Amino acid sequence: MAQNNRSAAAACTQWEEDLVLHYYGELRGSERIAVEDHVRGCEPCRFYLKELASLLPLTVKPDEPPQAFWDDYSREMRRKLADASERKSWWQILASFFQPWAIPVSATAVVAILALTLTVGKGFWGSKEAPQDDEAFMEILPAAENLEFFKTMEVLDAMDFLEDIGSPVKGSA
Amino acid sequence: MQPGDEDLVALARNGDHRAFEELVERHKQKAYRIAFDFARDREEAKDLSQEAFLRAYTHLGNFDGRSGFYTWFYRILVNVCLDYKRRKKRTFAEEFNETVENQIEPSQLSQKPPSPDQQVMAGQLSRKVGIALEALPPKQRTAFILKNNQGLSIKEIAEMMQTAEGTVKVHLHRAVTALRQSLAEFA
Repeated sequence: MAQNNRSAAAACTQWEEDLVLHYYGELRGSERIAVEDHVRGCEPCRFYLKELASLLPLTVKPDEPPQAFWDDYSREMRRKLADASERKSWWQILASFFQPWAIPVSATAVVAILALTLTVGKGFWGSKEAPQDDEAFMEILPAAENLEFFKTMEVLDAMDFLEDIGSPVKGSA
Repeated sequence: MQPGDEDLVALARNGDHRAFEELVERHKQKAYRIAFDFARDREEAKDLSQEAFLRAYTHLGNFDGRSGFYTWFYRILVNVCLDYKRRKKRTFAEEFNETVENQIEPSQLSQKPPSPDQQVMAGQLSRKVGIALEALPPKQRTAFILKNNQGLSIKEIAEMMQTAEGTVKVHLHRAVTALRQSLAEFA
């Protein structure tokens, strides 16, 4: 163990990443040649590669399930998929209302409905407002009539005045 | 001529769940194996891989075909495994530590260690590897498992992890360095 730690410390740090890639066969062409040339002349790096080769395969835990396991796996999976399929069908119906394309379509529909309501409903609302206008008019009408009355009275007064002016002249004549 | 994965996906999207069952049959062993590399337990690996298939099935609408079904599905699978590990991390690590301490300490402290038993040694190694892998950050663990255990290329891993190849190389190197330190006694 001490020897391993010593070798790890002595390994060329700048080559470590390339050594790992070389171990996994990920280096090609000049990169691979460069690493191989270096390893040939560097004992710690050679040791490092050997250590990787002895250690890393140990990290894989072997497992070979029997055929019965796979049969069971497929059976369970079919059942789960059938359940998910049922859930999916009603969920999809619900979700179809919330599709991305439905957002602009719904927005357009709402705008169109609003525009129609405002246009067509204008007359309807207008007729509702009419009685209010009529009521106001009916309130104003008597006042207007009174005004007309007073205007008429003023004219009559004026005529009386003129008559009064004119009558002594006639009388005197 | 057998339909390709993408043909089966198209059929499954149109409601043919038998097409998806065919996809499961094609990929179940590899999916199980990846899940097993994360979980290191047969039943957990089965549950995780099946959960990934179900998630893929219910989210088939999200598959845009930019990557292959294989890549898309294994991305889901890795995420399911990492999520599961994150959820279980505390209890899992505690259980592992207790087990390992109980099993390793007596032989280490003993003045006269028992004669080498390969099965016990293998068990110890397996547990130690489990702990060492568990201690790795998720991205390092993913890169390491997909490379070391699954033999995927750096390019495939980068595509699956949706990251740059250089980043995968860094993750892999760091993972190997950490594991090498943790498992030095077994080298």
